[in-house]
Parts: sequence; structure tokens; C-alpha cells
Amino acid sequence: MSDAADRSRIADISLAPSGHRAIEWARRHSPVLDGFVRHRLDDDVLRGRRVAVVVHLEAKTAFLATVLADAGAEVVVAGSNPWTTRDDVASALVERGVEVHSSRRSSLDQWESDLMAVADTEPELIIDDGAELTVRISRDRPQLYAHLGGVSEETTTGVARLRQLEAAGRLPMPAIAANDAACKHLFDNRYGTGQSTLQAILHMTNLRLPGKRVVIVGYGWVGRGIAGYVHHLGGRAIVVEIDPIKALEAHTDGHEVANLRDALAGADLVITATGGMRAIGRSHFDAIAPSAVLANAGHHDLEIDVPALEAAASVIDEVRPGVTRYLLEEAKPVYLLSGGALVNIAGGLGHPIEIMDLSFSVQAMGCHLLAKESLPPGVHLFPAELDREIATAKLESRKIFLDPMETAQQDTLHGILDLSQGGDGHV
Amino acid sequence: MSDIGRGMIDFARQFMPALEAAADTVRIGGRLSGRRVGIALTLEPKTACLVEAVASLGAEVAVFGSGHSTKGEVVEALVAGGISVFAEVGATPERVVELRDRFIDTRPEFLCDDGATVARRIHGVRRDVLDDLRGVAEETTSGVRPLRLMEADGSLMVPCVAVNDARTKLLFDNVYGTGQSVVMATLDATNLQMSGKVVVVVGYGKVGKGIASVARGLGARVIVTEIEPVAALQAYHEGLQVRPLAEAVAEADFVFTATGIGHSLTAHHVTQMKDGAVIAVGGAGRPEFDPTAGPHLVEGDEVRPQVRALTAPNGNTVFVVADGYCVNTTAGEGNPIEIMDLSLALQLRALDHLAGGDLAPGIHLLPRQIEDEVAMTQLASAGIRIDQPTEDQIRAARTW
Repeated sequence: MSDAADRSRIADISLAPSGHRAIEWARRHSPVLDGFVRHRLDDDVLRGRRVAVVVHLEAKTAFLATVLADAGAEVVVAGSNPWTTRDDVASALVERGVEVHSSRRSSLDQWESDLMAVADTEPELIIDDGAELTVRISRDRPQLYAHLGGVSEETTTGVARLRQLEAAGRLPMPAIAANDAACKHLFDNRYGTGQSTLQAILHMTNLRLPGKRVVIVGYGWVGRGIAGYVHHLGGRAIVVEIDPIKALEAHTDGHEVANLRDALAGADLVITATGGMRAIGRSHFDAIAPSAVLANAGHHDLEIDVPALEAAASVIDEVRPGVTRYLLEEAKPVYLLSGGALVNIAGGLGHPIEIMDLSFSVQAMGCHLLAKESLPPGVHLFPAELDREIATAKLESRKIFLDPMETAQQDTLHGILDLSQGGDGHV
Repeated sequence: MSDIGRGMIDFARQFMPALEAAADTVRIGGRLSGRRVGIALTLEPKTACLVEAVASLGAEVAVFGSGHSTKGEVVEALVAGGISVFAEVGATPERVVELRDRFIDTRPEFLCDDGATVARRIHGVRRDVLDDLRGVAEETTSGVRPLRLMEADGSLMVPCVAVNDARTKLLFDNVYGTGQSVVMATLDATNLQMSGKVVVVVGYGKVGKGIASVARGLGARVIVTEIEPVAALQAYHEGLQVRPLAEAVAEADFVFTATGIGHSLTAHHVTQMKDGAVIAVGGAGRPEFDPTAGPHLVEGDEVRPQVRALTAPNGNTVFVVADGYCVNTTAGEGNPIEIMDLSLALQLRALDHLAGGDLAPGIHLLPRQIEDEVAMTQLASAGIRIDQPTEDQIRAARTW
């Protein structure tokens, strides 16, 4: 432990007790990671391998790191965002012998240097979020980058970045799009972010959801999840999209669809979920309804252009913890949550534990796969069979067991075509 | 710290148009000017807006709050503004009784009560101030119930307005407000997922309806338990499972009580629950969940803030949020601001109504016109207009 403590940079080791309790609570609600995954990782494939985990550093992530370390990996951890680390959890991880470089609300410079400290431990494998560590190693540690064993990536944004690297011929190692696994994006991005985003917004503001006009910018998995919960909880979801098919899907799901300026003019609450940058920027501020609350659910802290908001405001003050008021032209107030950072993590507890049990099971199995197989360079999908095994393990933890398909239930062409003849292309 | 409280109070006021309109209406009559008004509601930013509104009308205001739901930063902000506050964060039950008696010592003429705790004490051991008390406005279902019992046995000596029973309160605060805040506070405290979970709601009154609706909206499978056939039939028509409590708890991932009545869920039930089930109280607080009735439960540590382990003799552990106090006010900030905008606007109108002076001792409802006015102010602020009945409609409605 003292070794890990010497190598680590954390806020305060004495905070560890509540961190241990939080990790234990996460373990209790992570049956797949604590059962199926532990069992699969018990083959020494990860023993002695250095694994960097760069994900929002809180209790669920810490439990993932614990499972990897228990499987023999040498785990090094940093937070994937300077706002979201829980210091007590970081301390508890260090007490568990894991090297950690992170503290809550560190400066951007400090966060960058924490990532580099993790890079300098020369990890073979990376569990990444937003490809934050991978792109920095590519830029600042080219020698190390050329020899990385593999990356398993958590988010839509990160997978898109890895695909950009691949297209540019700059991805010399295998990468697993953990985000694209069914057990990840169908649950984490939709239900996890959906529930926890609304939960954090309501917690931070103490506002009511029923009756609210909630503008959701972006109708990907995250936007779909948020819109669905808003609808079921009595709010009015108004979706803004640039993609006609997603917009049509939102329309067919029963939501209002509008262009951004019209939507903003009637908004009580605005949530960005595009995964891109500056979805709401300078040219939109005049359209925002007075007293609207703005929050971001996407990966980038700049989905709402906060520097532009600061430049446009005559008064800026924090009116509740994490709630900043900007007085814009004509003394119009708008409220920004968590400085535009991911509101569910920066302003709340992140995704529900049971959701991250799935996501991190995918990540752990992705990491294990990278260590076990020698996959060629490039972005790989998560194996469908593993996806199904994880889903099955989750269902079984809920005491749900499925029927096998009977042979007689299969649709065959028997009676229409005789495929055994083969060959001539005629019926 | 008072700056934080100040900021939170001012933020809340931004979203309380009905309270502002009520204050404007009451100000014209001037009936609260110079009166001693006691406010004994959950002491947090929204209540502070009512306190400041009443003070702005020229009343002398005293405030009382309980130990577990009082927000310290709000107390500081109110004290900084010269309001007499009898509330301390984390006060023991004994200390709360002391504070309440000192609050009663201010001899309020008009009282906003919550659970009728102050009115009951004044009618009990503090009859020395009864002569000064001219009226009570009661906020909750669990307070109106004892006041009606007092009325029935002839012990109620002052007029009481059942603010709780106003449609603009009951149909919103108890349903949407408590529903949202109870479920969200429980999820905030536990970091657990709601979709796919089995949620047992004990009691399908207004609060139970709200909790069931929010839990279902978040993807849970809801089972309702009831003792009242009409309420149970409503739950059935809503498409919810209805089952006896003793059976339902065995499947529960979450149990929410919403009965407002003591001993609705007990240690007997805990022994039937799955390991890891979560219990939260959305009704009247302790002892709605009574862990002392039945087999001995071993009280464990706080496994995370506001979550305590209780272990049954069979070894199963359940987790109680907020130690069995009302979860939304104890582990959260209470009802949403816009909901309390309605309830507190009604409280203010009720105080004014009582100050009108011609109400006999007993329970009174708020006049329908006041309910409607308060509803209209919030509709107007949301930019919503409604229709007026035509002459023909009015005539048709009055013809038989």
C-alpha cells in the first residue's frame, strides 16, 4: 500500500473510510462484475499486465479497478474529467494498492499532468473514456503509443475519435468499441444517463419536472433516454436534431421536434446530448427563454459554449451549489449547471450502479480480450457472444431465466425451397 | 454561509409566481399587518420565501423547524434578515420540544402548522397561550386528521383551515411534489437504478399515487398494497398490481410507505424481505415504518450518507433511507419549488382568510375562489390561458 501511496497523487488519504464504504456498496449492486467477470478473469491472462483505467473516478470505477487488480493486473487510475473525481474513493483505491493520479476540481493543467503521469507508468492496456488518455499518448508519447497493447473505449465520443485515428492511419493497436456493445450503449447511454441526468438536475435545482418544457439537443442514445424519462415523468420533451432520421424517430416516439431557436424560446430546461461541441453557442443566447436552466449530458464540457456565455454576461454568480446565474442582455437570467460539465457526474452520483455493472463488465472483458488474443490494429466490435453472456449473467442475477429455442420453432425454407439440391439457381 | 442560504432563497423565489401574487392580494387588505404569525413548516428555502412574504406584509414572524429537516444555511439567512427562528440542525427530539415551546412562547395569533404538532401542543400542555391563538392553517393530511378528531370530540378551540384539503394543494403537492421528491431523494441517496425494479408502494392515497407514477415512469414494476377497497380498485384500474403487503414485500427491491399512519410497515415485514431491499418513508415519517414491532432487528452502520443497514434474524439485511423519517425532506430538499409555490400561496391566503376574523372554531376549507385564483396565477406565469364558459353553457349547467 505504501508503494501505491508514494506513487500516487490524491487529495487526502485520510478520506479513505467513506470511500471504502462507497466501493463496497457498489460491489453489492454489481453482481456481473463481482461474479461472472471475476470468474472469467481468473485465468491469469491479466496477471502482471499494466492496465490504465481513465474513467470518471468514483465508486463504480473503483470497483472495476479493484476487480482488475484482484485478477493480477497492475492498475493505474486517473479521472477522465477534472470535475468528477471523488477524493474519498481515490484514497480508498490507493489503500487497496492501486496507483491513482487524480483529485476533484483539479485545474485543467493538473488533470493533463495526471494523465501524463499515468502514461509514464507505460501501460500496456487502456480502459479509456472519451479516448482522453489514448489521444494524449498519441500526441505526447509517440514511442509508447507505437507499442500499446490495446484500448477499450467507453463512450460514443471516444469511439468516434478512435475511428478518426484509424481513418488517418494513426491507430497502430487494436481498440475495442466497448461503447458499441449492446450491453453498454443500450443501457448505459439510454437508461443510465437518462435517469441520472434528470435526477441530478432536479436535485441541484429543486425544480419540478411535470409540466416542464424540456429541450433535448441531440437524439442519440442519451437524448432518447432523457426524452423518454421526461415524457414518462410528465414533462414535455422537445427534441432538436440535425439528422432527419433521428428527428423522425423522435417525432414518431411522440415528442415535439423543433429547430433550436424555436425550441429555446419556449424552454424551461435545456439539455445538450450531442457528443459534439458548442451545440449551444453565442448565436443562440438571445433566443433562450428567461430563467431557463441549461445542463449538459454529453461528453464535452463545451457542448454549451461556456466561455461565450461568460463573455456575454453582465453578472455571473453561483446562486445554489453548482448553479450559476448569468445575466444576459436586458438582464435576462439563465442558469447553468455544473459549469457545463456532465451534469449527472459533476452534479450527481453518475449512472446508477446496476448500469455501470453492465458497462464495466464489457470494459473488463474487452480488456481481457485484448490481453488474451492478438487482435490486428484497428477498431473492433465487442464480440456478440460475450455481449450475450453478460446479459445472461445480469438476468440470472435478477433470477430471470430464458427459454431455449426449439428446433421446431425455427423458420426454415422447408416446403418452399429445397436447399439440399443446391446449384442451379432455379426453383 | 448566510450567502448560500440567501442565494437559495432568491433562486426559489424566481420560481414562485403564485406566492408573489398571493402576497400582493393579501397586502391590499392589510389584515396581517402587525399580527404575530408563527410558521412551523419544514424549514428550507421555499418556506423561507413564505416567511419573508409574511414579514413583508408587516407581520411579526416567528419560525419553528424540526431537527432533521431544517437547513442551516436557510436559518442563517433568515436570522440575518431579523426573523426569530427556533430551529437547530440536528437538534435532538428533546431539544426540538424545547425549541417548539420557546416558539409557542411568542404567542402566535395565526399559525402555519405541519402535522398539527404545534396546535396539538397548545391544546394540550400549552393552554396558557390558547387565548391568543386565533387561527391555524394546516399543511398536511397527517395534521388535518388529528384536528378533525379534536373537532369531533369538542377539544378544538380555534378555527383551522385545512390548507391540505384545497384542490390546488392536495392534487399537486401530495401527488406530483411528493411523488417526484420521494423517489428522487431515494435514488440520490442510494445511486441505484429504478428501471426493472420491483417497487412496493404501501398506501395508494395521493402520495402513494404520486410515488407509484414516478416509479413506473422510471421503468419500475409497481405493486400497491392497500387496506381501503376503493383506493385498491383505483390502483387496479391504473394497471398496477395490487397485493397484500406481507406477500408483496417478499418481491420488493424498494418499499415506499405512503400511509401517513404509524406502524404501517414493521419488523415482521422486514423478515420477509429480500436481502438488500431498500425502505423509504414518503408519508408521515416515524413510526410509519416501525422497526421495533416484531423480531429484533440489528441496527448496523450508515453504509452511505442517509442509508442505514438493518439485519433480520434470518441474516438478510435491508437498508433504510433517512432513518425512517420522511425521505424527501430529510435526505432531500423536500417538494419541488413550483409545487410549494402553490401550497405556500394557499398558506398565505389561509392566514389572511383566518385574519378576516369571522370563522367559528372547527375545520374550514378554503373557499373555492381562493383555490382557483392561486391556480390561475401559476397557469398565467406558464403562459397558459383557459376558456370562459359561454352564457349557453352556464345556463345549461343550471338547468334541470
